[in-house]
Amino acid sequence: MKPKTKPFTFRGKYLFTGVAVLYGVLFFLQKDVMLLALARSGSILVKIAPIFLLVILFTSCINFFFQPQQIVAYFGHESGVWGWLTALLAGFLSHGPMYAWYPLFEDLQQHGMRKGLIVVFFYARAVKIPLFPLMIDYFGLIFTLVLSVYILIAALIQGVLLEKWFRMS
Amino acid sequence: MKSSQQKPPFIKILGRTSRNFLAMLPLLIGIIGLVGLFQELVSPEKLAALFQGNALPDTFIGTLVGSVAAGNPVVSYILGGGLLQQGVSLYAVSAFILSWVTMGVVQLPAEVECFGGRFTLYRNILAFFFTVIVAVLTTFTVQIL
Repeated sequence: MKPKTKPFTFRGKYLFTGVAVLYGVLFFLQKDVMLLALARSGSILVKIAPIFLLVILFTSCINFFFQPQQIVAYFGHESGVWGWLTALLAGFLSHGPMYAWYPLFEDLQQHGMRKGLIVVFFYARAVKIPLFPLMIDYFGLIFTLVLSVYILIAALIQGVLLEKWFRMS
Repeated sequence: MKSSQQKPPFIKILGRTSRNFLAMLPLLIGIIGLVGLFQELVSPEKLAALFQGNALPDTFIGTLVGSVAAGNPVVSYILGGGLLQQGVSLYAVSAFILSWVTMGVVQLPAEVECFGGRFTLYRNILAFFFTVIVAVLTTFTVQIL
């Protein structure tokens, strides 16, 4: 028997239409602003396109090398300390805007990744290693180090709390 | 039996992943469109003008403003540095630069679509309160050190 494949449907059609309408309205009210916003959006898209490609490649590699049972073992409820630490590390090594990583984590979640790890990843992203020199320049070394340590601790606590919250409700 | 256990070739998995990603493109382009629109209509200076010069309310304002703002974190550092020079407290500036990265009102529709409303609500509530806590603790620790 052939495995069932999900029918192809675009997601976020209403959001896309709503934003297109906003741009349309702005075109008639403030054409210059609308064109500048469009140019800005275009430049954001160009900047994060490589991250999208990376996410596609990364998701494919995970699905190729790991069986769903393995993903559950590494990132599921039995993943333990390994899962939390991997989520932390992945969080502060990741680049680009948060939404660029949604497809990957949605996929991992569907394969059994625990919710707490997603929370940890998204909060740990606040530690930006490549931006450390700039942050130190503006706010000082001590501030940068202290903030980074607290962010990582806060990320872990939030992951644990979210899972407890889900279990309670 | 044997065929069901065979691993599909990488190119097939890549195709399937690309197809799933393509299905999400209207959602992602919609968010990018919103971010572009927001950055053009609400300048960082307008956001910075919301601070009142009082540490406690400014910490909450910093968290709210940072979560509404969108863009490269570098901008938040530059703005945060400017706010410090203007006399805005370190509590507020810490909250501002932290919520800039960890929260995002503009990307909420995409988060709801991918992870569900309940997850998004819980995650953002936690992120909001922990941003305030981290900002307070960081400033307090830096002052002691």
